Amino acid sequence: MKLLIGYTADERGAEAIELASALLRTSADAELELAIILPEQTPFQAVYPGGDHGFSTVLSAQVDRWAEQALELVPPAITARVVARAVPSVAQGLLELAAERDAQGVVLGGRTRHKAGFFAPGAVASSLLHASPLPVAMSTPAGVASLRRASVRIERLTAFVGDKPGAAEVIGHAVRSAARLQVPLRVATLVTDQPDGSADTEQVNRSRGLLEELVAGLDERVKPQVVTGGSIDEAIESIGWLDGELAVFGSSRLAPPRRLFLGPKAQRMLRRLPVPLAVVPHQA
Amino acid sequence: MSQDVVRAVEPASESGLHEKGLGKGTVGVLGTVVIGISCIAPAYTLTAALGPTVAEVGTSLPAIFLAGFLPMLLVALGYRELNRAMPDSGTSFTWATRAFGPYIGWMGGWGLIAATVIVLSNLAAVAVDFFYLLISQLTGAAWIAELTRNLWVNIPTTLVFVAAATWVSYRGLNATKSFQYLLVGFQVAVLLLFAVLCFTNPEPFDRTPITLEMFNPAAVESFTAFAAGISLSIFIFWGWDVTLTMNEETTDPAKVPGRAAALTILIIIGLYMAISLGVIYYAGIGSEGLGAGNPENQESIFAVLSGPVMGPLAILMSLAILSSSAASLQSTMVSPARTILAMGYYRALPESYSRISPRFMSPSVATITAAAAASGFYVVTRLLSENALWDTITALGMMICFYYGLTALACVWYFRTELFDSLHNVIFRFLAPLVGGVVLLVMFVRTCIDSMNPDYGSGSSIGSVGMVFVLGIGVLLLGVGIMLYMRIRHPAFFRGQTIKTRR
Repeated sequence: MKLLIGYTADERGAEAIELASALLRTSADAELELAIILPEQTPFQAVYPGGDHGFSTVLSAQVDRWAEQALELVPPAITARVVARAVPSVAQGLLELAAERDAQGVVLGGRTRHKAGFFAPGAVASSLLHASPLPVAMSTPAGVASLRRASVRIERLTAFVGDKPGAAEVIGHAVRSAARLQVPLRVATLVTDQPDGSADTEQVNRSRGLLEELVAGLDERVKPQVVTGGSIDEAIESIGWLDGELAVFGSSRLAPPRRLFLGPKAQRMLRRLPVPLAVVPHQA
Repeated sequence: MSQDVVRAVEPASESGLHEKGLGKGTVGVLGTVVIGISCIAPAYTLTAALGPTVAEVGTSLPAIFLAGFLPMLLVALGYRELNRAMPDSGTSFTWATRAFGPYIGWMGGWGLIAATVIVLSNLAAVAVDFFYLLISQLTGAAWIAELTRNLWVNIPTTLVFVAAATWVSYRGLNATKSFQYLLVGFQVAVLLLFAVLCFTNPEPFDRTPITLEMFNPAAVESFTAFAAGISLSIFIFWGWDVTLTMNEETTDPAKVPGRAAALTILIIIGLYMAISLGVIYYAGIGSEGLGAGNPENQESIFAVLSGPVMGPLAILMSLAILSSSAASLQSTMVSPARTILAMGYYRALPESYSRISPRFMSPSVATITAAAAASGFYVVTRLLSENALWDTITALGMMICFYYGLTALACVWYFRTELFDSLHNVIFRFLAPLVGGVVLLVMFVRTCIDSMNPDYGSGSSIGSVGMVFVLGIGVLLLGVGIMLYMRIRHPAFFRGQTIKTRR
């Protein structure tokens, strides 16, 4: 299996390598493409007084050094390559490279930022999450800390599904990934309490029925779970995480086919997520 | 893993770095002209330099503008040769180092940094002036335009402008093609409108007939005035050489750069002639009222004249100058930052200056240093000088003469063994840069000597030495000091261990 990392020579890049290594741990022919995206030099960004002032020489030497440092971070069992390319848009460049190199997923190192109670991915992550036809995995410092406590191994997957179409697809994806990683899978649905504070029993029952229907006939290591709480935040905290867990989300049904899009509920969940996450695109 | 490391080096060529990216072969003559004009930023240069130049040469303004272009042309030809021979370095610092060795090379780099830092502070100040003027014109409240004279308002606003440009530059955000076209088109149109309105005004302030004598450089009264005028008019063409050094970005490297450079200079000279003659015709060069020779008007001639000449349309001029100087502020930030970066990379400055932001792929420490230096320079000049903009522009002219002159001579010296191999070499590697370089260095020395006089420039002085001299020489001596410090603390560069000099 081959993954492409949107690599930056800082902690984010190192974290992305750790996450990708964990995802590739069980693959026989594990390959990593470390993509360093450079800004495109267009003549209209004229520098005054003129000239490149030796910048491309310095940048190119710097990229070579970054490339060597990056490769040292990759575990020896994984074949890794660095590719540097100048493109107008980072997200577009990553997708192009991923397609060109036949990567099966993109991995990013991220930082959690919040806006109005929602998880706000950075500009690159955001455009990737909106446009990627491939699964995108993202680490956060908290997520990587959890991975490290599990000796950089994925220990369990948790796929989050709602009652929307596409849930079966997300589960199918998670089942295949869990099998490849040889870990158990938990399929979870979040149900928040009613406005008056009482449990929404009707919704819980409906969700439980739906989940059981979805996982029926699957591997016995697939466990359904309905999580409740006063709010999404409470629910996501009460769910109980293993060290080395990976959260899997499906793209929202708002997204055009084969384009990722995180729904508002998922975005709110991501705010408190203590583990790395993967988002899989809508196939239909 | 060693094999992987080797493979890691390979993508550098794939990255297009050595071929300067994907912008290859996309720009035609028109695009190159637009890039050239945007680098020159005529609305900004005119408002900053026209007044001080009139103060030096009076009605010979058109002549001195024409004469100022010649050394610029000659030096630019030498630049083009160096750029072709060493496309990987592309800066005065590396060129001068390879030709003359580390000490002169270091000072060449310092000259460029100093010139760009000074112009940054001036650009920010002009942008701030017109920012308040524009608000005042929009709201009809005259007192707002006066705010810029209050140091407690002016200095913080200028620092905010510099900080904003730094942020944009550090984040690697760039103007797009259509934005550049719009900016340049608007600038040229407003300047032409201004010139037309000057000539068609029924009641000029001090109607001065245009004579042929105005085009005669020999009519300038003294060599002092001539030297000062030349170093100022170098500044107004500064940026033009961009058109000549553009090569593989153009659709036809054999034809486009030359044609575009010629067309750019025709447009620019036409514009400068129209404006300078218009200003002389309308306002005269008297030192009273609206006269272009009035010290009160030196700082920013359009701020004073656009209202009386253009009436309600003056708001367009404010907008043109604000946009032109703000855009230049951001694109100019890149030059000193990259030169500081290159100097750090070759250990001519501490290594930390060679840091590149892994996220934005732009110089980090170097960009912040350049911005801090520009801010510091502005605050000091603003506090010390009665007429900071005037003095900085004159000091800037000096600094450009210094590093351009040095770079031109570096061209001659770098190619010294092959100067007479062909007619091309005789002209472009020997005569043009030699004459251009010598002329500029003579102007530099002359301006240095003259500017010691406390009456020079705006007439500000420190301890009976002219402010311009203190600024210009002070900055150069500071460079010598830092160079000697580096020589003692980090001698590798000075031993020729990081850049090899030629032969």
